[in-house]
Amino acid sequence: MGDAWRNMFDENQFSGQGKVNRPMALPVEDFIPTRYSLLSRLQNWDDHESWKDFFDTYWRLIYSVALRSGLKDAEAQDVVQETIISVARNIQKFKRDRTLGSFKGWLRNLTRWRIADQLRRRTNAGALPTDIDRDVSDEWALPEIPDSNEAESVWEEEWRLNLLQVALKNVRGLVKEEYYQIFDLYAVKQWPAEKVARTMDVSVGKVYLAKYRVGALVKKEIRRLEASELQSQ
Amino acid sequence: MSTPARTSEEAAPRPVVAEHQLIRLIGFGSGGEVWLAKNALGIYRAVKIVFRKSFSNPKPYENEFNGLLKFEPLSRRHDGLVDILQVGGSVASDYFYCVMELADDAHTGPAINPDDYQPRTLGYDLTERRRLPIGECIRLGAPIASALGFLHQHGLIHRDVKPANIIFVNGFPKLADAGLVTEMFKTRSRVGTEGYIAPEGPGTARADIYALGKVLYEISTGKDRSEYPELPAEMGNPVEMRDLMQFNKIVLQACRTNPRLRYRNTEEMMSDLLAFQFCPRGLLGEKNLPVYVGWVGIFGLLVAASIVFLLLWHMTLRLLHPE
Repeated sequence: MGDAWRNMFDENQFSGQGKVNRPMALPVEDFIPTRYSLLSRLQNWDDHESWKDFFDTYWRLIYSVALRSGLKDAEAQDVVQETIISVARNIQKFKRDRTLGSFKGWLRNLTRWRIADQLRRRTNAGALPTDIDRDVSDEWALPEIPDSNEAESVWEEEWRLNLLQVALKNVRGLVKEEYYQIFDLYAVKQWPAEKVARTMDVSVGKVYLAKYRVGALVKKEIRRLEASELQSQ
Repeated sequence: MSTPARTSEEAAPRPVVAEHQLIRLIGFGSGGEVWLAKNALGIYRAVKIVFRKSFSNPKPYENEFNGLLKFEPLSRRHDGLVDILQVGGSVASDYFYCVMELADDAHTGPAINPDDYQPRTLGYDLTERRRLPIGECIRLGAPIASALGFLHQHGLIHRDVKPANIIFVNGFPKLADAGLVTEMFKTRSRVGTEGYIAPEGPGTARADIYALGKVLYEISTGKDRSEYPELPAEMGNPVEMRDLMQFNKIVLQACRTNPRLRYRNTEEMMSDLLAFQFCPRGLLGEKNLPVYVGWVGIFGLLVAASIVFLLLWHMTLRLLHPE
């Protein structure tokens, strides 16, 4: 599905007759929905709904980056769990200290450290405990994990994919189910328009229309998420 | 239902269930434990025990007990509901229990070996098989829709329809866990399981229909309910694809975000399920007939009309000119 996700925001595709699968240039700034209000609510550990919201939004991002760093499924799941715990323990500090930078950068560092912990556990057979209290302000920790360009680009890529996923999830409940199914088969799963039309028992024109309308909503949702992120800075 | 490792040999005091020997803890239901038990005749049963201490205030404990009392007589009158065979304890005591028929074993079916018994639920089947053929989805959906309809007709709602609460008894699907059964419109408290709860909240017949729709979505597509309404990328051969897309119409109709656009009642839903089972290509509004069938029909009608016209004309002539 990866290519499909990357191509989803191709302007040509949204205009109807897709010709070139050229990924739309997405801005590199923080644009995931780190809604300021959500971060504020996370300070209350008993606010289960907000934590669930947070987990639903970010677990896949952390998990994917962990997998792409060479960890196995179970290890990646541990990374998700430990990163979320790190966020829980350090969110107050993050909120207080604006010099820690963006939430995106902070979360990236927490994730990288938890991945590094897993890799160390492999080599040391679990001899070293995980330091889940460590956060971005602990400068001594930084040299331990190489901040290569590759790792950076993996994070960026997964961040974008995660954003698309969140936007799609939000839009899913806003449109008629049949429309979303047509859009999903054509734009996300990249079935040929004729096959989608045959499968869904609709005209090819309706397939293009669904893609245009739902696609417009997805783009609008992304803009909204980006705006939310900027407000949280 | 999860299956914990605790056994009856553990030191924790156990409630007394009349004429039954509790053998092994086999799962947790809403607000209580479910035990494998054996009655005086040596027949294995499931016993659900609900403890007052599991609830932070007495109201939900009382509600659960009252729901059970209402459900108990109805349960044995419909094949799609798990039979409640005995109820013990009271709302005033520290616990109450109900003895139910036991689900088949996940591996051996109706033959029960208490040492490694694992209840066969739809949740278990889904984990093992990921996705069920459409024919099986219908054979499963229709009796559950019928059971829900039966509850609704008697003014009750289930509020927790999900794969884990659909068990198999002698291979037949039944709706289990009456823990959240309550009177229709009596409560709008947010109970149930996330993903199966209708957007407007539980507490109505249409919310039960929504939950059943989500169950049918999961078993027919193999996808998680959170991915609704996405379709699977792999739909099988053309016949399987056609069946899935027809079944998809029933799922969408059951799961509309706006409750007014959903099936109005389970009878409507069951009608579509049965229509699909017996005439998958005809009764769901699909334009399946080939074009030539339509033209042949029109031609046939014209011929028939011509014959009738000629006969009438002939009779009229004979009446007017008998010679």
